[in-house]
Amino acid sequence: MIPCAVVGVGQTHHRSKRRDVSFGGLVREAVFRALDDARMTMADIDAVVLGKAPDLFEGVMKPELYLSDALGAVGKPMFRVHTAGSVGGTTGLVAASHVRAGKHRTVLAVAFEKQSEGNAQFALGSGRGASLGAGGSFAPFVRAYIHRSGAPEHIGWTVAVKDRLNALKNPYAHLKIADISIDKVRDSPMMWDPIRYLESCPSSDGACAVVITDEEGGRAAAADGRPPAWILGMSSRSEAGGFPGRDPVRPQACLQCAQDVYQEAGITNPREQIDTAELYVPFSWHEPLWLEAHHLADEGAGWQLVDKGQTELGGSFPINPSGGVLSTNPIGASGLLRFAEAANQVRGAAGEHQVDGARVALGMAYGAQSQYFSMWIVANNLQPFG
Amino acid sequence: MTRFVESTITFPYKRSLGPVTGAFMTALADKRILGVRNGTDVLVPPMEWDPATGAELAADLVEVGPAGTVESWTWVPEPTEQHPLDRPFAFAFIRLDGAANPLLHALDAGSPAAVSAGMRVAPRWREERIGHITDIACFVPGVRSEVDGTDVGGPGQPVELMDYTAAITYSTPVLAMADHALAATREHRLIGLRCPTCDRVYVGGDRPYCPVDALELGADAEVELPNAGTITNFIVVEPVQYPGQTVTEQFARVFVLLDGTDVVLTYQPVIDLPVGDIHVGVRVSAVWAPRDTPVDTFSGIGRPMGSLLGWTPSGESDVHDPDLVNRIY
Repeated sequence: MIPCAVVGVGQTHHRSKRRDVSFGGLVREAVFRALDDARMTMADIDAVVLGKAPDLFEGVMKPELYLSDALGAVGKPMFRVHTAGSVGGTTGLVAASHVRAGKHRTVLAVAFEKQSEGNAQFALGSGRGASLGAGGSFAPFVRAYIHRSGAPEHIGWTVAVKDRLNALKNPYAHLKIADISIDKVRDSPMMWDPIRYLESCPSSDGACAVVITDEEGGRAAAADGRPPAWILGMSSRSEAGGFPGRDPVRPQACLQCAQDVYQEAGITNPREQIDTAELYVPFSWHEPLWLEAHHLADEGAGWQLVDKGQTELGGSFPINPSGGVLSTNPIGASGLLRFAEAANQVRGAAGEHQVDGARVALGMAYGAQSQYFSMWIVANNLQPFG
Repeated sequence: MTRFVESTITFPYKRSLGPVTGAFMTALADKRILGVRNGTDVLVPPMEWDPATGAELAADLVEVGPAGTVESWTWVPEPTEQHPLDRPFAFAFIRLDGAANPLLHALDAGSPAAVSAGMRVAPRWREERIGHITDIACFVPGVRSEVDGTDVGGPGQPVELMDYTAAITYSTPVLAMADHALAATREHRLIGLRCPTCDRVYVGGDRPYCPVDALELGADAEVELPNAGTITNFIVVEPVQYPGQTVTEQFARVFVLLDGTDVVLTYQPVIDLPVGDIHVGVRVSAVWAPRDTPVDTFSGIGRPMGSLLGWTPSGESDVHDPDLVNRIY
């Protein structure tokens, strides 16, 4: 297997409406930031992988064809990825797979969503009435988690506050709620019982791009004083959305995906060997829920990490230092943002939301009825565990 | 013969045009056609980037045309509703004077005999323009542009956003097994298919297979299910109003574990159970449409299945079981 590395990361400024840019303008904003970061131009890219949520979101069929010239992909291999909400993560994995396989040396992964040009509730309801929306779909999972773990209700508020405080340190984040507080979250309207308005992700326009290259490219970047993020493990898993006995709080696909990515990266004790994680948390309760389903906390104990402040920036195990999906949610790009932010942490390039001394990070995305999972482990060197 | 259910969904999407396409559309409303300089060439319509390399182009916009030369064309003898003209016309690649590349548009020439590569054409503008490519109604033979009626003008302000209403019509086959399950509901019977390998039961017939064992389930797998159960979990939704939304009031969906089985019916409507009274453990029974009432034969997440309209409290006392809430599936 050919080692590969992230050598460029870029994202747009995310807003509820980016009416100032076309689709092409939006993705190019992220792409040129990533290329500049990698000290590259479009001519250095051998193949392009594009990810976004279903075409129904913006009503553009085959956006990968529509955007090929905007992405400088004319005459190059161009791929589209779609795995529901996890798609951004899977886009990173597909791009990295081409490099690992030795097929292409340098691959550009791009993911975007321009939610303001359509309506997510409409799209998630397959264009029909009485859409449950993402919050409606996940509320029963959250209720089951709360019942079985016995977590107090302030845990959801705590995560909501923590991620919004982190977002204040991220210049690209969409939500900037300077006066965020437990009271403010607790007093916000109940949207999908037991999920409150401020415990929910926003709807964003935005894009993310990542440049992935081979070992030689990674070493060249390092020699040039631009630390790469080495991709030590990558995995994706899925399971059927509904069958009797399926547990959406601890989906088998998630448990297995996490085991697989740790094994490939040589991780035997994830809680100790990983320094920080960017987990896909669209509703605040998903933080403790995912901590448990990723073997990062014992079953029923994820909420205690939250309660003790260990998942804060500055805590022993910071989760979503970027502010996460709770602060920025251009759906198709949200997964790649997790992967990109994890990479920036181990590159020491996260700026104000940098986790001190982060060497190994996990990026994760999930989608649909908690049934698609994508993960990667990135590190600041190829043998971080000796 | 397989039955098909036809359904159409439509949505009024928006398109942010960006600085360059926005300027192009704004100029169209003013009866001007813009291109962008790309080296020594002028590209029409103008783009933000070089289409060959992706390199950023400075937005150096120049006026082209309005007359141009037909480079290639095809005749459309029987226009449909979606075509720009309601009479036979040509789709033509027209290189506008000053442009390096041809623009695709409609050419109203009467008959194919009147069209030839090399012929000179000019735009016929709509009388009222909105900043859209259809502000040019079509091109016509000759070198003088014209207005199709009295010139009413344009919006008088920059055009930044375009409306784009998309519609798609699906024709979905209904499996014989699904029709069989729907027919059973008309007799107020609920049927499912039991997997012979894992014993899991799947309600209805629209997905006649076991996803766990990857096994197709036929008529021999059919089992009769009870009409009573217990609410295990629920969803309360504040509906967001979007085009195509059919509900305006808060509504609920519940998960029902059927008595004596391992079957959970997901996303079920409730009847005569106020949202505030829904909780885990409520005993419910099926509510059926009268036998002679027409029913919605399209089933899907959160919709009634045939004559099964939903679930109503049976009046029995609650079930107290801490594991109940986990039975979402």
